[in-house]
Amino acid sequence: MYSEILGNEHDKHEKIIGTLAKRFTTYGYKRIKTSAFEQYELYSNVRTSINQNEMIKVIDYTGEVLVLRPDVTIPLTQQLVQLNKSLPEELRYYYVQEVFRQTFQENERIGKTQAGVEFYCKSSPAADAETIMLACHALRDVGFSDVKIEIGYAGFFNELIADSDITANQTAELKRLIQAKNVVEIGPFLQQLSIDPAIKEVLEQLPLLYGSPEFVFERLKNLQVSESAQQAIDYLQQTCKIVGLYGLNKHIVIDLGLINHMGYYSGIIFQGYVENFGKPVLMGGRYDALSEEFGVKLPAIGFACEIESLVKASSDKELQERYSIDVTVLYEESRLKYAIDITNELRERDYRVISKPLSESTYATDSQYTIELTELQNKIADQEEVKEFSDFKQLLDLIISKKGVPEWTI
Amino acid sequence: MDYLTVAMAKGRTAERAMKFLEKSGVRFSEFTDQSRKLVIFDDAQKIKLIFVKAVDVPIYVENGAADVGIVGKDVMMEDPRDVYELLDLGIGRCKLAIAGFPDTPVENVPFLTVASKYPLVAKEYFDKKGIRTEMIKLNGSIELAPLIGLSDVIVDIVETGTTLKENGLVVLEEMADVSARLIVNKASYATKTEDIQQFIKDMKEGLEVRS
Repeated sequence: MYSEILGNEHDKHEKIIGTLAKRFTTYGYKRIKTSAFEQYELYSNVRTSINQNEMIKVIDYTGEVLVLRPDVTIPLTQQLVQLNKSLPEELRYYYVQEVFRQTFQENERIGKTQAGVEFYCKSSPAADAETIMLACHALRDVGFSDVKIEIGYAGFFNELIADSDITANQTAELKRLIQAKNVVEIGPFLQQLSIDPAIKEVLEQLPLLYGSPEFVFERLKNLQVSESAQQAIDYLQQTCKIVGLYGLNKHIVIDLGLINHMGYYSGIIFQGYVENFGKPVLMGGRYDALSEEFGVKLPAIGFACEIESLVKASSDKELQERYSIDVTVLYEESRLKYAIDITNELRERDYRVISKPLSESTYATDSQYTIELTELQNKIADQEEVKEFSDFKQLLDLIISKKGVPEWTI
Repeated sequence: MDYLTVAMAKGRTAERAMKFLEKSGVRFSEFTDQSRKLVIFDDAQKIKLIFVKAVDVPIYVENGAADVGIVGKDVMMEDPRDVYELLDLGIGRCKLAIAGFPDTPVENVPFLTVASKYPLVAKEYFDKKGIRTEMIKLNGSIELAPLIGLSDVIVDIVETGTTLKENGLVVLEEMADVSARLIVNKASYATKTEDIQQFIKDMKEGLEVRS
């Protein structure tokens, strides 16, 4: 915790948020915020992958139970439903907000910062491919070179077992085996179930339907599936084709055994991995059915990533700047007025400036330049040399010639 | 250079797994029986072996500290983790079983005290049979528990049954087959697909040569 407060973690955190926000903006997304407290009822009525035990509950003075924002997608969709009775052509929103979930793992912090996008639009391979492109693009911007996006289809598994007569326990066990790609045990387990043999074969193959799109779709050709399952495959294939046009072929992996975070997702689902980090850093998918739970059709696709994970995953990457401060102005009391003028002028020009009396500066400040204003002279020093200056214009020229205009002013 | 990190527990299973790999040309000359090194590389510097406690193997793999792990099914049953379980290595074969003094009833009894290294697996098993249990989690010398009256029965892995026999105990009921499994971190499988598939292929070839 202390390292986060005192060290460079926070700088990195902010920098990643800035990078992501900038990228989201270039795809036409507008920033929104949702309330910190939501009705508990909202979450108990909707099918979600968030465990209700994980939510932090609060009781207000009327006795109503509220939860501390466990996610953004659900309340945002609910609000939009209230505002739009039908889908305007499209809506693009992004958010950077803390979400609160209490997991059973000790030492895990409750509040985590999520950055994500929600793209309300008609379901189409082009929209889904663009969203996957944005996910990939954003991760690349943060500095990861080896980005992999795993793409699956949420409805596929449910479609397969839809007509089968198996119990909830058996379904859960089957899901567990598929998620673990447990090829060893899935065959014998299926033997005990009363499922159509053709579907059994597909289920047994499911863990192996993993790899490049060419590989997976070639394999699928040899399998018999129902018409609706085939529609899912066609949709996925079209999406992959467009993703390929974006030049992402080497970054994507198809995984039809990806069924772990389905919740309210109905179509394409995906998760992003980066080099040398053991957990997904990004998750998303299409959730056309969510708005229908509020009584309106507002199809959408979106994804979110956790800033804390990105910070951890990029721990060995040089993201932070060398100096947190550009200029420190030190002055003798008699030059206070001039010090304030210089500080103001520099801040107006977007430099990061600290000023303090010479007598109080007992240690060197972590800044690129130090300006000293005494009765006798005005000096500006950096790591290499010390120069004198007579007026503000000269000072500004000296700084600009070396450092240039501040890079964050765009 | 990029290498694959493989976690396993030191011991017979690890040695046999290394033999499989050797048959596919992956050699660990650095390794000797007496070596106390916890980290060794293969001769081509492509695979980094780390030796950890068996129960910790799935934890290393789930968190991505190791890409691949080799671990007994018994460990995975007691502490399931979000990893891929891609291969049955068929080594370290044994059984998870209920054991105790001969004629101890394990059917149609209302209540049993059970000592085990696997309290969760054991409890679930007895729950399904409709027998209420008191679990006593032990970490070793499980066979002692019935002898000194600490428990009615034990749940443990049984290989040859010699230890049971010498202590006057017998297998009362077999619960499950156990063998070594190859588990893989999900992120690694996405980012290092080819390396991992090659590793699995090497392992499989070793397995086939043996059988």
